[in-house]
Amino acid sequence: MKLLQNKGKQLLTITLCVIPIFLSGCWDRSEVNDLALIVGMGLDRTDEGDIELSAQIVNPKAMGGQGSSENSQSGGQPVTVKTGTGKTIFDARSKLQEKVSRRLFEGHNRIVVIGKALAERGIRQHIDFFARFPNPRLRANVFFADGKASEILKIMPNFEQDSAEVARELAELRIGMKVTTKDLLQQLASESGATALPRILVDKSDSGEELRVNGTAVFKHNQLIGQIDDALTRGLLWVTDEIETASVTLQPKDAKDYISFKLLRSSTELIPTIKNGKWKMTITITSEDDVVENETKLDMMDPKIIDKLQKQLNKRIRKRIKMVLDDVQEGMEADVFGFADAFHRKYPKQWKKAEDKWDETFPEIEVAIKSDVKIRRPGRSGGPQGVPQDKEATE
Amino acid sequence: MKWAMVLGIVVIAVLITLYEWPKMNKNQKKERKAFAVLTMGSVVLAVLLVYFPDMPGPTQLVDSLFKPFGKLLEK
Amino acid sequence: MMERGKISGLQMAILLYPTIIATAILLVPAISGKFAEQDMWLSPIWASLAGFLTVYIALLLHNHYPELTIMQYSGKIIGFIPGKIVGLGLLFYLLHTNGVVLREYGEFVVGNFLPSTPIIVITGSMAFVCALSVRGGLEVMARSAQIFIPVFMTLFLVIILLLFPELRPANIFPVMDDGITPSIKGAIVPSQWFTEFFLIIFMLPYLRTKEKRMTWGMLSVVAVMITLVITNLFSLLLFGDITSKFTYPVMSAARYIDVADFLQHVESIVMAIWVVGVFIKVSVFYYAIVIGTAQWLHLSDYRPIVFPIGLLLIIFSTWVAASLQELSHFLSTVWPFYALVFQLVLPVLLLLVAMMRKKAAENDN
Repeated sequence: MKLLQNKGKQLLTITLCVIPIFLSGCWDRSEVNDLALIVGMGLDRTDEGDIELSAQIVNPKAMGGQGSSENSQSGGQPVTVKTGTGKTIFDARSKLQEKVSRRLFEGHNRIVVIGKALAERGIRQHIDFFARFPNPRLRANVFFADGKASEILKIMPNFEQDSAEVARELAELRIGMKVTTKDLLQQLASESGATALPRILVDKSDSGEELRVNGTAVFKHNQLIGQIDDALTRGLLWVTDEIETASVTLQPKDAKDYISFKLLRSSTELIPTIKNGKWKMTITITSEDDVVENETKLDMMDPKIIDKLQKQLNKRIRKRIKMVLDDVQEGMEADVFGFADAFHRKYPKQWKKAEDKWDETFPEIEVAIKSDVKIRRPGRSGGPQGVPQDKEATE
Repeated sequence: MKWAMVLGIVVIAVLITLYEWPKMNKNQKKERKAFAVLTMGSVVLAVLLVYFPDMPGPTQLVDSLFKPFGKLLEK
Repeated sequence: MMERGKISGLQMAILLYPTIIATAILLVPAISGKFAEQDMWLSPIWASLAGFLTVYIALLLHNHYPELTIMQYSGKIIGFIPGKIVGLGLLFYLLHTNGVVLREYGEFVVGNFLPSTPIIVITGSMAFVCALSVRGGLEVMARSAQIFIPVFMTLFLVIILLLFPELRPANIFPVMDDGITPSIKGAIVPSQWFTEFFLIIFMLPYLRTKEKRMTWGMLSVVAVMITLVITNLFSLLLFGDITSKFTYPVMSAARYIDVADFLQHVESIVMAIWVVGVFIKVSVFYYAIVIGTAQWLHLSDYRPIVFPIGLLLIIFSTWVAASLQELSHFLSTVWPFYALVFQLVLPVLLLLVAMMRKKAAENDN
């Protein structure tokens, strides 16, 4: 009896050891070589009002060990773009699946490009898919294409492997705005009712086509209402405290050459005030710069000169922000700056009353800009290089 | 497919019985009874659920008992 | 005595912690967020009051009958037949709730990772593993929890640390915009997670030492509260107003992690936390049902009925709701009151009757 029990135990142990072999992912077993990895997705609107989904898919033929030179000779691109059309994104996706021999997988999707025709009809309804379907990540960067989104995805850059990677890296560099799917969802649900997306463009030149993040598309109540250019986008970034890398070049008064500064760090604070029913916003910017290039004969170690340069820099920043405020606050009347949130946070009670009238209040808000730039270091050299000591300019 | 599920349920019940039954000694009459009732009851319930998956269940029972309170939290 | 194993106070706390947190960590941020919005991080603090109360009452009841569990002393307090009825109701509640927990687990795994796998395979295998641990007894469960909990907490901390760079502290303002009410409203449903500390009643008789029971029980409540405050705070700082829109905010948060284009796709960590936590949670409930049933039927051993009850458990997990929407509607409307009745009101009533009886007996003397 005891022996039998032991045997039973042995049998059980063996069975338990064998079972895991069949458990490798249950019904959802999927091997990498059965998947079509999507790295970029584009949304367009067809003339019939359907959605055209373009997917940039990693080309399995081009993956693997062979040398890249061999690839380009045989014409095997690292990615291919396929499109499908349907009533919803998922509908289009299933049409797209018919053309792809492997199962589509969005888990590695890095960018979502929204075409102009679609954006004009609103973006909220289409972004739901990216927060509901299990595969896509909220991390994917969202861009606006002033044209067709599929055009952007079809660009084969000669520097990175695919255009999705180029777009993502450009967003990371913060040349323009960086908006992830999560940020977009938050903006859409926010009180201001305004949304901004970075604009991505195709740059045509002799050496081929390259992508460029340039400018910003502004949405209000889910509708595309305007676009601003690169210079204004910089101003917008100053206000929303998203500026990370910046180079500022200016010409000192009474000099014919230039000095370049590199932005080290900057922080922006939005300070709302309500006085006697008058809404006012103070934008306070503190930033630090280093001198990186000095064409003039000015001595960068002279505190008096530095002081003047700082004042000039402050003026520059104020002008930049003024420009974008004129255009977006007064022109488009869209609160992409986060003023609504700032007021709500500081004046919850007054906000409750004014909430519904925000669209009328916002353009009327008086904005004061305070900028405090500090030039911290002169760089590796103090006085101007290549100028004899006694020839240095003092003022 | 339904007969396969019924078969599966019965096989599991039989396996459990084969495993537990010899372990109980002869004096544990009450335990044997409890075991038999629970196992049989589960099998009957499981088979019923295979054929009538939308049978009103414990949740509906509790729902009807606590409905007035539940309304308070609906949002 | 049918349970021969003994556990320490620390082990008890370690068993209780994941019993509460396992499902709360994924579901509470969305529920609190719905009611409390930017005050959602305050909700677990109010909710924890229910936890302290539950532990305190369980201990007072325990002091009246130090050797018995609620199944046994309910008969002594309110008479044999009413005691049996209360016991049956309680068993039904535990079985039902455990079915819900098992279902939540299955829904999460199927919804996020294995969409085409039948849910019964996932709940069934979990129920089987739990059955083995329950069959091993309280001591075995406590020891496995002791091994798993450090893993659980480390993984949780990893997620929290990786999320740090993504947080936006401004999301927390304005604090208490509409006063204290929204955050209390957001605490009603989570407070029922805290009343699950009621399960302490099934462990108290098997403690090795009688000292520090109160300390360990309360410490466990505090640990759960802190964990939930952190979870809610991080969900809020990351997602802001849209937290309540997600089914599983912590899961969505983990998917958002990306450190230097290198450390990404870490949601399997959340999965690991979830599996470990649910394993202990289901085991503790399961253990309470099994030992409760055995005591209700006056059996000499609880082990023979472990597997049959496991079968029943799997049936309940498929029976509780047709869909995740139905389940979550039930959880956020009816369940708080249902749980409150069995986990807090019932012990309070029992305690009051027991105290009155004691007083009457003293007066007789």
